[in-house]
Amino acid sequence: MTDSRLRNAQDSEVRAALERTGLDPGDELMGGAVQLPGGIALPTQIERVLGFGRSFSFWPLLFGLACCAIEMMALGGSRFDMSRFGMEAMRASPRQADGMIVAGWCTTKMAPRVVRLYEQIPDPKWVLAMGSCAISGNVWDTYSVVQGIDSLIPVDVYVPGCPPRPEALWQGLEMIRDRIKVSRHAYDGLRRIPARDAIAESEART
Amino acid sequence: MSDSLSPSLEKALARLNKRFGARLLEQTVLYGDVTCVVAPEDWMRVLSFCKSAPQLAFDQLDSLFGDHLPERPEAPFEVVTHLVSHKHGHRMRVKTSLAEGGSLPTVTGLWPSAGFDERETWEMFGIVFEGHPDLRRLLTTEDFEGFPLRKDFPLQGTIGGRIRTDLRGKV
Repeated sequence: MTDSRLRNAQDSEVRAALERTGLDPGDELMGGAVQLPGGIALPTQIERVLGFGRSFSFWPLLFGLACCAIEMMALGGSRFDMSRFGMEAMRASPRQADGMIVAGWCTTKMAPRVVRLYEQIPDPKWVLAMGSCAISGNVWDTYSVVQGIDSLIPVDVYVPGCPPRPEALWQGLEMIRDRIKVSRHAYDGLRRIPARDAIAESEART
Repeated sequence: MSDSLSPSLEKALARLNKRFGARLLEQTVLYGDVTCVVAPEDWMRVLSFCKSAPQLAFDQLDSLFGDHLPERPEAPFEVVTHLVSHKHGHRMRVKTSLAEGGSLPTVTGLWPSAGFDERETWEMFGIVFEGHPDLRRLLTTEDFEGFPLRKDFPLQGTIGGRIRTDLRGKV
């Protein structure tokens, strides 16, 4: 895992950007008076309300590629019980999902299918790469394994391990929820988000 | 473990020997299982006999796969089939050796399930099955180059396996 990926996971620049706009990410949702220049308080508040709601109903896509999926199932089971956080409804259709957990190594034969599933998930979406194989290919530096799923799709959170324990996946999902609350995506550098453009425009005007 | 054969398999082996005799190049018995080695020219004849003869009646092809033995330069490839008879409850292994670039007739006419097995054997070892209805790559991408289960195929690196074309339109 590289340093830039670690930085990604910590959201530090997001928090800094929010502080510049006068928003405190640690605020109660509709509590403290949020004063934004340029009259763009409303879209930002909507974004925050949506982010708050989304963070408590993150429905991952129901699919697993290899043995890491067993640990993912353990997290869904009664011992670790991810339904406590509103994530128990893993959707079998990408059109109903909020993101995907890439659990296990991805073969070159499977890669186009994984990319298609990712593209079929409606925005906004978050991706968690679970296990060393999904992150880097692990020991399978061979003809048939994709060396890191992030070469195909933007990844939000990396959970290392072989396989990671359910607690580790849980922590990864918590980090995803932190990103959902501040509406931060791995694909931010790749596409525009209207609410962010509004903030940037108002900053440029003042 | 004893190396004795079950009565039905003894009968089947006797029938096979009576029909082919010296054309069965080698017969070994290990733990009650029979392995017969035949020449590639006899491949189709022996296998169709295995299916049709009532004493053998191998109605199922359990598996068909290849093997690469580079320490045998004159015949580095092997094709192995495992046959099962549900009528008699016995099984047998039939093998043949192939030279580099050798080919075999397809047995999809006898057991349709051989289709996938022969595709995989071809894609992994480069052994051509003549007359196969659909000899395409099965487990690797369409634009893959090389035969990955050959011993001279590099163990590391994504050689031949890099995704060069966007296959999403075909999924």
